[in-house]
Amino acid sequence: MGKLLLVWRLVVKDVRRYTAEALLLVIAIAAAAATLSLGLSLYGATNDPYAQTRAATNGPDVVATVFPPGPDNNAPANPTELKPLEHASGVIASSGSFPVTWATLRANGTTAAAEVEGRDTARSFVDQPKVTEGSWVRSGGVVVERGFATGLGVRVGDRITLAGHAFEVVGIAVTAAFPNYTRLCYIGCDEPNVSGDPGLVWLTEADEHRVSQWASEPVAYFLNLKLKDPATAEVFANARDNGSATAPRLFSWQGIRTADSRIVANAQIVLLTGSWLLGLLAIGSVAVLVGGRMAEQSRRVGLLKAVGGTPSFVATVLLAENLLLALCAAAIGLLVGWLAAPLIDGPGAGLLGAANVTTITATTVGIVVAVAVAVALLSTLVPAIRAARTSTVRFLDDAARTPRRRAWMIASSRHLPIPMLIGARLAARRPRRLLLNIFSIAITASGIVAVLVVHAAASNSQQGFFAPGNPINARLNQVTTVLSVMLVLLASVNAVFIAWATVLDARHASAVTRALGATRRQAIMGLAVVQMLPAFVGAILGIPGGIAIYAGAKSGGGTSVPPVLWLVAVVLGTVLVVGALTTVPAQIGARRSIAEILRSEAA
Amino acid sequence: MNGSPTVLVHARGLRKEYGSGEGLVRALDGVDLDVSRGEAVAVMGPSGCGKSTLLHLIGGLDRPDAGELTVAGQRVDEFSERALACLRRDEIGFVFQAFHLMDELTAQENVELPALLAGCSPGEARSRATVLLEEVDLADRARHLPSMLSGGQRQRVAIARALANDPEIVLADEPTGNLDSAAAFDVLRLLEGLHAKGLTLVIVTHDERIATTADRLISMRDGAFVDETQLTGGSRGQLGTFADWERLTLDRRRPS
Amino acid sequence: MQQEVVLAMLAKEPSHGYELRARLGRALGPVAEGISEGQMYVTLTRLEKGGFVARCDAPAERSDRKVYCLTPTGQERVTEWMSDVTWPRPDLAEFHMKLIAAAQSALADPISIIDAQRRDLLRRLREVGRAVMEEQKDSDAALLLEGVVLRLQADLRWLQACESVWTKRRTRK
Repeated sequence: MGKLLLVWRLVVKDVRRYTAEALLLVIAIAAAAATLSLGLSLYGATNDPYAQTRAATNGPDVVATVFPPGPDNNAPANPTELKPLEHASGVIASSGSFPVTWATLRANGTTAAAEVEGRDTARSFVDQPKVTEGSWVRSGGVVVERGFATGLGVRVGDRITLAGHAFEVVGIAVTAAFPNYTRLCYIGCDEPNVSGDPGLVWLTEADEHRVSQWASEPVAYFLNLKLKDPATAEVFANARDNGSATAPRLFSWQGIRTADSRIVANAQIVLLTGSWLLGLLAIGSVAVLVGGRMAEQSRRVGLLKAVGGTPSFVATVLLAENLLLALCAAAIGLLVGWLAAPLIDGPGAGLLGAANVTTITATTVGIVVAVAVAVALLSTLVPAIRAARTSTVRFLDDAARTPRRRAWMIASSRHLPIPMLIGARLAARRPRRLLLNIFSIAITASGIVAVLVVHAAASNSQQGFFAPGNPINARLNQVTTVLSVMLVLLASVNAVFIAWATVLDARHASAVTRALGATRRQAIMGLAVVQMLPAFVGAILGIPGGIAIYAGAKSGGGTSVPPVLWLVAVVLGTVLVVGALTTVPAQIGARRSIAEILRSEAA
Repeated sequence: MNGSPTVLVHARGLRKEYGSGEGLVRALDGVDLDVSRGEAVAVMGPSGCGKSTLLHLIGGLDRPDAGELTVAGQRVDEFSERALACLRRDEIGFVFQAFHLMDELTAQENVELPALLAGCSPGEARSRATVLLEEVDLADRARHLPSMLSGGQRQRVAIARALANDPEIVLADEPTGNLDSAAAFDVLRLLEGLHAKGLTLVIVTHDERIATTADRLISMRDGAFVDETQLTGGSRGQLGTFADWERLTLDRRRPS
Repeated sequence: MQQEVVLAMLAKEPSHGYELRARLGRALGPVAEGISEGQMYVTLTRLEKGGFVARCDAPAERSDRKVYCLTPTGQERVTEWMSDVTWPRPDLAEFHMKLIAAAQSALADPISIIDAQRRDLLRRLREVGRAVMEEQKDSDAALLLEGVVLRLQADLRWLQACESVWTKRRTRK
């Protein structure tokens, strides 16, 4: 018990002594944790949204529709034609048939086309749309499909008009029985008086009939079927659909999903790519963190051993401290992720018409905590084992290795001005850190460039994701902006952390160079160059990277290149910001007198 | 500057303290020192007496808390950090106990570094390094990394590096502290040679042998000078007397 | 037993042989074990014959209780000895006694004695060091001179220790 207390006291003392470093570590891990949790939740929300919605709503395996016969559409459709299907072989359940009509919708000053389905207030067994906000239909109340609501910017409580008559938005829901907004007509539309791609809304059956009269629109009937074997849905639909205009049309859930995916593909890939970018960057930061922390730990190990600790005791203290900091950081990161998730998940999922899954799942928490613990373990064990002198470990521990020598770099740097000479040589000492740096910046730059390409393409109607003026564009912009901000934030934290690790690592070399006659400013600029070189390379790599991301997301069709000026601004901006971020730890490091540094760091 | 000054180091009342309150340490407590051009001064004393601190102040690696310090005719206690850097670069060569060579640079790359920092062209710096490495008898090891050199060889490289920009003064802080006696002897020879060529030296050492190569030997304790011995001047020829003594049968002097 | 040491001890006060032996024992510790009282008396007798000490007690006393004191010649000799920087080899006891006797008799300042000796040894070290440089490496002469250098270094370190201890004693007073 006493030993535990001692460990605790040592940990507290150490954290208090090196508060700045502990704080930096916590911030860095928290940033990585937040990013990782957001990336994971975004991935979860955007990965196969149709399947999530289908499960959440008990979506139908087959949708059968019957439309009014005749060119003038005055006669209504006959729902009895759908009756036999309810008892067809292979059908185990059904709901409907529900009346469907079309009307003009006005909301927030926007006019759009709406497809209106009339439903029971009671729950249906098959295809009960999942309400993500508010409540289900009631008299005078309209429920708007989520993708449509996101596109229009409509929220619960807003007042809209359908066919000129006011309704209150009482809820927002998702369904798997219809394709997502803008591809609704895949399963049939009949709206001669209404223009544009309609979006889905639900009313009570009575309200629906009134609207069809006000809009002078025909009423079609839709029936939802559940099969014993969902995989046979396509076969079932094809067998009973003879293609005639009057007979019922059948659509399998696979077909709906395909129609769905055509729309959501772009948005989905943007979001999935975003989540991947965030995840990769988070992993990159973890590598940076482990490396930087290890460099620092070797000092601590030395101190603790000198004070008389056995190797196992030393390892215990370090592990305790690292775990404490890492878990606190993971908690903070998860909290931030949870708070920030609605910024992306909401519009993201809405764009995809997906049911709103819990943003931070237990899996996400588990992964984030596991990563934080891994950081703590790795950065403790490696120096602790090194204290026992294993050669395998030397490979892992950046700080223990003598700096690498690159003869060509040293030879060519002689011709450079002093700060660049210093910087180039310092950078060449730690090639892996250099690569990590380039990687981190390249990912960020790719993300930013991809966003710029989207912006550039949006103004060029041929290549935009959606038709110009489509409200989904605005939502997509919001999401990509948030993603970009997060990428930039995390990359900045990374840059500061790498800079700090570099400054620590280069302390002796900087002191010797200054003792030989380099000024403090030259030394600081040299350290900035160490970061600016990989920032430049990373930013340059980000240009084709970002364009490739966009091209991949677009999957075919041309890609547009943003104006050269913007690209130059991105590269310049990255280099300058990274340089500025580095000078902060560099200045702090240069405050100690040279004599002190040389005394404490033997060659 | 009016001609080359004959007094290269002029210090009055130098003070340096570390820590504060209970932990206050007076490393230097009012030290006066004059070093003439071409003179070799040795400073000896127990550890913690402040001799290294004194050297660091003269070399511009640290600033005095009080007192005036003139090096090569310039008031360095009033210098900006940038001016100190130029001083270190152009006027002073420093040799450390721990060598402080760059591990990833070869011997000649280490030696040419100060010249590069001073703005010499790479070609000039390289040829200067070659010459200096010859002078310290390491021409055949010019392309070796420090890890491939013995302690004595590393220190010789460090001495060559200290001479790169043709300094006025060479400051050596325990140059043989990390060396065995054979390596120390080589360094001793080198320092003697430099002194013979007219270079001004200030050497901090605990090795009496090194110290007695100087013209003047100063003893320090607790941050102040306590003794000064002039070693040059006085006659030679006492050697015969020594040889007498070392006869294995010793005759003690008796009162006549 | 070095005669000058006995003389210097008498400079403090007249003593008899027994007392002198005791004082020597306290000052030298185990090193004094080889010195017997008999040797002390032999030295005292020689000194008396040389005119450096004389009996200064009543002749009626028993012989083993003879008290000796310094004669003027003896006093002169002591003063001379105090400032003599001839370095006694290899026995350091003589120098050690010189310092103690100087302190006890207030004849001279031990620290000044140490400083003077140190200066002298330093100059000698310098001379020998130079001589080594001029000899062929690993020659006979160089080897011998190397030995001289090393011993001088060792002695200088001991003198450093002496100065350290005697300075502490002084500041304690």
